[in-house]
Amino acid sequence: MQQQVTLTIDGSTIRAARGTSVLEAALGYGICIPHLCHVPGLKDTGACRLCIVENVQNGRSRVTTSCTLTVQEGMVIRTNTENIKRLRRNIAELIVAEAPNSRAVQDMAVRCGVREVRYPFRRENCIQCGRCVRYCTEMWRANALGFIGRGKDRKVDFAFGNRRDICKKCQSCVIYCPMSVTPCGGPMKPGEEKLCGKCESVELMAENAYGACVHCELGKGFQCSRHAM
Amino acid sequence: MATANLDSVLEGRRSQPSQLIEVLQDIQDLYGYVSEDAMEQVAGGLGIPLMEVYRVACFYKAFSLQPRGKNVITVCTGTACHVRGSDLLIDQVRGQLQIEPGETTRDGLFTFECVNCLGACALGPIVVHNDAYNPHVTPGKLRKMIDKAEEEGKKEAAYGKTGKA
Ligand code: FES
Ligand code: FES
Repeated sequence: MQQQVTLTIDGSTIRAARGTSVLEAALGYGICIPHLCHVPGLKDTGACRLCIVENVQNGRSRVTTSCTLTVQEGMVIRTNTENIKRLRRNIAELIVAEAPNSRAVQDMAVRCGVREVRYPFRRENCIQCGRCVRYCTEMWRANALGFIGRGKDRKVDFAFGNRRDICKKCQSCVIYCPMSVTPCGGPMKPGEEKLCGKCESVELMAENAYGACVHCELGKGFQCSRHAM
Repeated sequence: MATANLDSVLEGRRSQPSQLIEVLQDIQDLYGYVSEDAMEQVAGGLGIPLMEVYRVACFYKAFSLQPRGKNVITVCTGTACHVRGSDLLIDQVRGQLQIEPGETTRDGLFTFECVNCLGACALGPIVVHNDAYNPHVTPGKLRKMIDKAEEEGKKEAAYGKTGKA
């Protein structure tokens, strides 16, 4: 039998199998922690930082990513404190600024309470969440894609930039890429990037009915565990 | 010939993924750079995906993926060397060889590189010329150094020609 541990997330006591991550446990109980780089079934790397929570220990709280935090007996987790909300909003803003041309990213930002983006838009088309790379390596064992370079020059590429022949053509990298969902109004023109925010009413609903799913585009295309339920 | 060398590098380390960096280092020492061909053989030999080999080779500055010149001129741009005028040295190389950091001259004689700190700050500004550390370099000293290397290179080339004839 699987060993179960008991922990508290946002005041509710939940039981989860030993070894699962806090994020998975929370999602299983319908507690929505925004997440982006987490893909069910793959190893989590904590790339997007959106899933941050407060882990309270001996009266002190530490902020960490819940997808890389495994459940422990008697853990106390808070997912929605003011501090977390503020940090999360900032992270979401940075992600939108990096790559505004994605419905998934935009929805995610609205879910995190971003109303305006204070950073200059950089218009990259990759947020380096590593979903494609991890799917390619872990699920398909194809190892066609990988992160090349480091620091600000890090990017996803084939080996030598041209070894497409290693690819198994499974298309997972496209399916799992948050950038593959264009915003409702189509791709934005350079210089006119903005936060769409058309679905803000949904977000308001989510704010009032705490824990309600906003059914973000990300969940639909990317198998957020909540959509699967 | 080349494969024989590669074989000797891989000898005794086949199917040991943990040896990747050592193997790449040996290849770098042997050829002066890590070629795509070599990377593929390493991937096959150690049993690692090619992607992984390429990723590691790209990550470390110690590996160069392009063939390098006969003379590698490395200028330190670390803080200590910078305040002592390493930017003048960079300009000197740029002007004299007409190449930017990271590039190699057409004749394959010089490669120009910049590093962030060599850990010998008290001796700055430092220029490394083929593993030889030159302390307290001035643009004038650097010019002479490059001139000398160039002359030697030309002499060698000429000798090689006459030797063959
Ligand atoms: S989902 Fe945890 S960091 Fe991205
Ligand atoms: S700054 Fe040049 S050696 Fe440290």
